[in-house]
Amino acid sequence: MLSRLKHWRARLLLLLAVIGPGFITANVDNDAGGIFTYSQAGAQFGYSLLWTMIPITIALIVVQEMASRLGAVTGKGLSDLIREEFGFRLTFIVMVTLIVTNFGNVVAEFAGIASSLELFGLSRYVVVPVAAFVVWLLVVRGTYASIEKIFLTASAFYVTYIIAGLIAHPDWKAAAFATVTRPEAAGIRNYGYIYMVIALVGTTIAPWMQFYLQASIVEKGITARQYAASRWDVILGCIFTDVVAWFIIVACAATLYANGHHDIGSAADAAQALRPLAGEYAYLLFAAGLFNASLFAASILPISTAYAVCEGLGFESGLDKKFREAPVFYWLYTVIIVLGAAVLLVPGLPLVYVSVLSQVANGIVLPLVLVFMLMLTNDRELMGTYTNSRRFNAIAWTTVVVMVLLTLLMLVTHR
Amino acid sequence: MSLVALSELLGAPVRGATGAVLGRVREIAIAPQDHPTRIAYLIVRTADGERVLPSAVLKSCGATVRTADDGSAWEKYSASDGVLLLKRDLLDQQIIDVHGRKVVRVNDVELDSTPVNSHVVLSVVAVDVGARGAIRRLTKGIVPSFTLRTLLARIPPRVIPWAYVDLLETDPARRVKLKIVYEGLSKLHPADIANIVEDLPHAEREAVFETLDEEVAAEALEELDPKVQVSIVESLDSDRAADIVGEMDPDAAADLLGELPEGRSGEILNEMEPAERQEVAQLLEFGEHTAAGRMTTEFVAVGDHGIVDDAIEALRQFEGSREAVATVYLYNVAFKIVGAVPLVKIAISPATTPLSQLAEPAVTCTADTPDDDVAALFDKYNLVTLAVLDEHERLAGIITADDVITMLRHRR
Repeated sequence: MLSRLKHWRARLLLLLAVIGPGFITANVDNDAGGIFTYSQAGAQFGYSLLWTMIPITIALIVVQEMASRLGAVTGKGLSDLIREEFGFRLTFIVMVTLIVTNFGNVVAEFAGIASSLELFGLSRYVVVPVAAFVVWLLVVRGTYASIEKIFLTASAFYVTYIIAGLIAHPDWKAAAFATVTRPEAAGIRNYGYIYMVIALVGTTIAPWMQFYLQASIVEKGITARQYAASRWDVILGCIFTDVVAWFIIVACAATLYANGHHDIGSAADAAQALRPLAGEYAYLLFAAGLFNASLFAASILPISTAYAVCEGLGFESGLDKKFREAPVFYWLYTVIIVLGAAVLLVPGLPLVYVSVLSQVANGIVLPLVLVFMLMLTNDRELMGTYTNSRRFNAIAWTTVVVMVLLTLLMLVTHR
Repeated sequence: MSLVALSELLGAPVRGATGAVLGRVREIAIAPQDHPTRIAYLIVRTADGERVLPSAVLKSCGATVRTADDGSAWEKYSASDGVLLLKRDLLDQQIIDVHGRKVVRVNDVELDSTPVNSHVVLSVVAVDVGARGAIRRLTKGIVPSFTLRTLLARIPPRVIPWAYVDLLETDPARRVKLKIVYEGLSKLHPADIANIVEDLPHAEREAVFETLDEEVAAEALEELDPKVQVSIVESLDSDRAADIVGEMDPDAAADLLGELPEGRSGEILNEMEPAERQEVAQLLEFGEHTAAGRMTTEFVAVGDHGIVDDAIEALRQFEGSREAVATVYLYNVAFKIVGAVPLVKIAISPATTPLSQLAEPAVTCTADTPDDDVAALFDKYNLVTLAVLDEHERLAGIITADDVITMLRHRR
C-alpha cells in the first residue's frame, strides 16, 4: 500500500516537475507587445488576418519543441550551443542582435506598464522609474521565484478575452471562415498588411522565447528520458497562447473594427474591446491584465537576455555570484532595464506604435535564430537519435523562407 | 621562446623549404599518450586533401608556418580518437579552471614555440578566457594584424595555465585515451567540486562522477542539491552508483536512495557491501522528516566506567565522518545512554581521568521527533550533536549540526 502510494506520488511529482517551462513561456508570450499587436491586428484588419493563426501555431509548436528538445538532449542553453558549434564571431553577431531586439521588447513591456497605469490616471514619469526599480530588485534579491506563481495565476486574466470575445457577438461564421480561408492576394501589395503579419509572427514566435525556454528546460534538469512529458507541456502551452491570441483579435474585430475604430492609439482604445464583458469597468480589467503581463515579462526578459549573452560570450553569470565576480552580467541586466525604462520618458512617445514595432523586429530577426536552431537540431553528433524529423525541417525551413520573403516584401512596399 | 595564439595559427599559410605555400593550418593536435603538452602534429589543408604535418619538421610558427621539407612525405590525415584537437575539443568549449574553481569557456589557446636545434617545439601553455582572446577572434582578418597586436597588448591577459585546466569529455573510452582523470578537480574541497558540477550540463556531470575517486565523488555528491544528486545517480551504472553511495554518510545515502525510484534504489542497495547496505536500509525505513531520517548511525560511544584513554582509543577506531566525533557518548551496563563528553574535554584531560567525571547530561530525542523540534533542540542547547534514542533508550544514531543547517537551508 505504502509503496503504491509512493509510486503514485513519484509519478505525480514527475509530471509536475516537467509541466511548467512550456506553459510558463507560453504565458509570458502574451505580453504587452503581444496584446497590443493582436489588438491592433483585429482593430485594423478585422477578421482578415485570422488566417495567420493556424500556420503560426504550427510553426510555434515546431520551433518551441525544437528549443526544448535541444535543451533536454544536450543539457546546454541555446547560446552555449551556438558558441560551441559556430565559434566566437557568429555568436557575437547573434548576441548583439539579441540584445537589440530584446531591448525593443523590454521597451514594449515598460510601455505596457506605463499605459496600463495611465488608465488609472498615474503619470508614466512616476510609474516607469518605480516599476524599473521594482523589477530590478525582484530579480536581484531572488524574490522573483516566489512571486512567479502570482504572475502565473494572474495571467488567468487572458481568459477574460475569451469571454469578451464570446459576449461581443462576433460574426462566428465569418471569423471561422477567415481562420481557415486563403489570404487575399491583394494583401501582398499592402505595406501595412505585411507589417502586421510580420508583427504577428514576431510576437508569437519571439526569438528571445527560444533562448528562455531552452534555458528553463536545462535549469529544470529535464533530460532526454523525461522528454516525452515535456513535449506535451510545450504543445499545450503553444495552443493555449494562440487560442487567446485568436480571441483577442476576434474581440477587437467585433468591437473596434466593427465600429470603425481602426487604429489603436492608446491602451484606452484597446480596453474598449473588453467593453461587452465589463462595460464601464472594461478599462479596469484591461489595465490589471496588461499590467500583470507586462510586469511578468519585464521581470523575465532582461535577466534571460543577460544570461544568454554572458553564457554565449563566456562571461561569468548567475545571481548566486557577487557583483564583483560577474560584473558584465549585472551591468548588462541593469543597463537593459534602466535604458529600456528611460526610452519611455521621451515625451509624446506613441506607446502602441513602439510596442508593435518591437514585435516587427522580432519577426525580422526570427529567421536568423531559426537557422541556427535548425542546424543544431540536425547535427547528429550533438543530437544522436533526437535529430529533427523531415516534416519538422520542412515546417521550420518554410518559416525561415516565408519570414525572409515577408521582410523583403515589406521593404519593397514601403513608401 | 615566443607565444603564439591558436586563432593566429588556424588558417595560417604553411610554407615549405622553397617558400612555396603548401596549404593552410586546419587543426593542431596533441597526443596525450606521448606527451601531455607538446603538439604532435598539425593538420594542413592542401590541394591534395588533409595532410599531417609532423611537428619535428616545423621551422617556425606564427602568422606563417614554415617547415623544413616540401610536404611530399606528409601522410593523409585520418581521424583518431586518441588525440586532442585544439580547435574542435578546446576552442569555445567549457573547461574546469581548477585554480579559480569554476567552469569557464575557452576564447583562445596560447602556445609556445621554442627553437630546439634545427626545429621548433610547439606546446600548449595556457588557455585564454579573457577579453584579449575574444577580441582577437572577433577582429581577426578585419583589423590589420599589426594594429591588432598593439591593441591586444594593452588588454590585461586572463589566462589559465595548462596545468590548472581539466578538460570535459563525455565519452568514457575517449577519456581514457586522452588521459583525462580530473586530477586537479579531485584535489579541491568537496563543496567546491559540487559548485563546479552544478554549473555543468548533465552529460558532463556524469562524466565527472564516472571518473572521480569514489570517496571524493561521495563527499562531493553529499554537497549537491538533492535534485541534482538524484539525476546524477540515476545516470550512473548501478555498481558505480553503489560504490559511491557506499562511501557516503549513511544518513545522506539513505536520503538520496529515498528520493530515487524504488526499483533503482533496490538495485543500488543490492550492489552495496552487506554492512553498509544494512545501515542504509535501516535508515530508509524511517520517515524522511524525522530525527531518524536525519540521523547517521555512525557515532562514538563507550562504557560509562571508561577513562579518557578508552575514549581516545574509540576515536582512533572510528571510521565515520569528522562531524560525528564532536561528542563521545557514555552508556551503562544496560546500554542506556547516561551522558555525553565533548571532544574538547577529552583532548585537554589527563589520560586516566574517568569519563564519568567529564560527562554532561546527554541531550536526546526519539526516532520520531519531527525536524522542527530537532532544530529547536540544537538552538536551545547550542548542540553540535544530538543523540537519537530507540524505544529502549539506547543510542540509535546521532544528528550532527551540519545536517541541521542543510535541512534548514533546503526548507527556505
